[in-house]
Amino acid sequence: MRVCTVALNTFKESIRNRVLLNILIFAVGLILLSLVIGDWSIYQQVKVIKDFGLSAMSIFGLLIAIFIGIRLVVQELEQRTIYIIASKPIRRWEIVIGKYLGLSLTLAVNVIIMTLVLLCTNYITEGIIDFGLLPAVVLIYIEILLIVGFSLFFSSFAAPTLSAVLTLAVFVIGHLSGFLRDYIEVYPDRGYHWLLKIIYYIAPNLEALNLKMAVVENLKQPPHALLYGIVYGTAYLLVVLIVTAAVFHRRDLK
Amino acid sequence: MADLAIHTENLTKVYRGDLGKRPIVALDGLNCDVERGEVFAFIGPNGAGKTTTIKLLTRLLRPTNGRIFILGVENKSHNSMERVGYLPELPNMYGYLSGREFLDFIARIFKLDFKERKRRVSQLLERVGLEKSSDVAIRNYSRGMLQRLGLAQALINDPELLILDEPMSGLDPIGRKDFRDLILQLRDQGKTIFFSSHILSDAEMIADRVGILNKGRLINIGKLDDLTSSHITSVDVTFRVESDALSRVDTKKYKTVIRDQNVMVRLNDSKEVNELVKSIERWGGQIISVIPQRKSLEEIFMTEVGR
Repeated sequence: MRVCTVALNTFKESIRNRVLLNILIFAVGLILLSLVIGDWSIYQQVKVIKDFGLSAMSIFGLLIAIFIGIRLVVQELEQRTIYIIASKPIRRWEIVIGKYLGLSLTLAVNVIIMTLVLLCTNYITEGIIDFGLLPAVVLIYIEILLIVGFSLFFSSFAAPTLSAVLTLAVFVIGHLSGFLRDYIEVYPDRGYHWLLKIIYYIAPNLEALNLKMAVVENLKQPPHALLYGIVYGTAYLLVVLIVTAAVFHRRDLK
Repeated sequence: MADLAIHTENLTKVYRGDLGKRPIVALDGLNCDVERGEVFAFIGPNGAGKTTTIKLLTRLLRPTNGRIFILGVENKSHNSMERVGYLPELPNMYGYLSGREFLDFIARIFKLDFKERKRRVSQLLERVGLEKSSDVAIRNYSRGMLQRLGLAQALINDPELLILDEPMSGLDPIGRKDFRDLILQLRDQGKTIFFSSHILSDAEMIADRVGILNKGRLINIGKLDDLTSSHITSVDVTFRVESDALSRVDTKKYKTVIRDQNVMVRLNDSKEVNELVKSIERWGGQIISVIPQRKSLEEIFMTEVGR
């Protein structure tokens, strides 16, 4: 109940401060740009539009996840608005999770509108609506949620710039997870092997949430790739949020 | 303990210093009781530990040591804030909401139902004089309006205990008077008010008891009357004598101011009053007034803090 109150207020904030609107205008513009770029590519127009659209969705989601995710709690502390809320009969985790859910709702609206635009451009160029893109969209959204979780986690104890760098590092490592595993297997006798192993096991495997290539190229997807991505991403996210709430619970609001 | 609004035991807060710096002891073993229904002023210079104490009371900070009881309950759970209202120093609220929306948001946190929320929000907006600007975005509010809205949000749950951090700072003289009147009204309704201030005249005007904090330590606590009456600096005795008897007044022994037939004597030691009264009778004079001159809170404060 209190979580919903905080979440709806956070959502209201993104609407009133026109955050959502600005992001949407830019993102939708970018997808429409894919129509132009698609025109330049001979015989590949459809694929380019899908690829460009999904990538735009992913990149924009990532940018919002990092920048707004980090500001989510930091802004409350800087502007001293947190004092009034946190001194009420509300648990700290209800504030953190509420704010997280509010931003997730904003991002969901963002992803839904971008998907609709993408499907429309797809219809314009191909004459059909390719619902096969949707599993990739679902996993893009889960990846965005995970990155918001990380930015919230890092910002609960580190300065905003450091939090942004660390979140970006998680994103990069998360996508290179496969390479990291191969590297450990190929060079098992390196001195820093143990460090890479720790990173490999702790960092999320974001490639497990990447179906972009598969849906654009109409490749055969591994069985239950969507289900596996949803379960894996959600489980990982839960752990990140629990740790974040625990850190925030102990934090002094100076 | 159940009859106390606030009870702290050995309350200590040490801030970890930044890298390479020493830890800072912001509050050092505070033992303080605030009774229900009183107006308690917490005074001290900047950096004395007033805001730290208030943030510990309101669960924004975790104590390094010691215990806090609010309205008889240890403040370890968020539920202990159910009957507490808190106004932070220079309060800031979500600029994108209107005053009415913000109060509604706070009322939702207290899980008030729709009817009750609507009633209390309207009632409080009127009480703090913001009904006309209730639908204006908070980002357009002046400092004084923010302070009023801050007080309204602190009252949304009809609290038994109000904790106000420097409530009068940032207000103009009219605003300060309004605020003082409001605090006294709330006290008359039986609420306990704990406020910090460095504006001593405000504390002097409305507080029943005062605690003086300096460098993280409570250096004096007591009723305002007791604190000030235990610091009598002099006694002014005024009497009237006939013109022909004026020459009998011992102006060498006493510091006197004579105007027509009225004589004012300032005694630096109150023990000398009885002796002077007897002398006045001897001189055939008639006593008009005996007024002890007390140290003002400001003078007491300066003496205590300057030690």
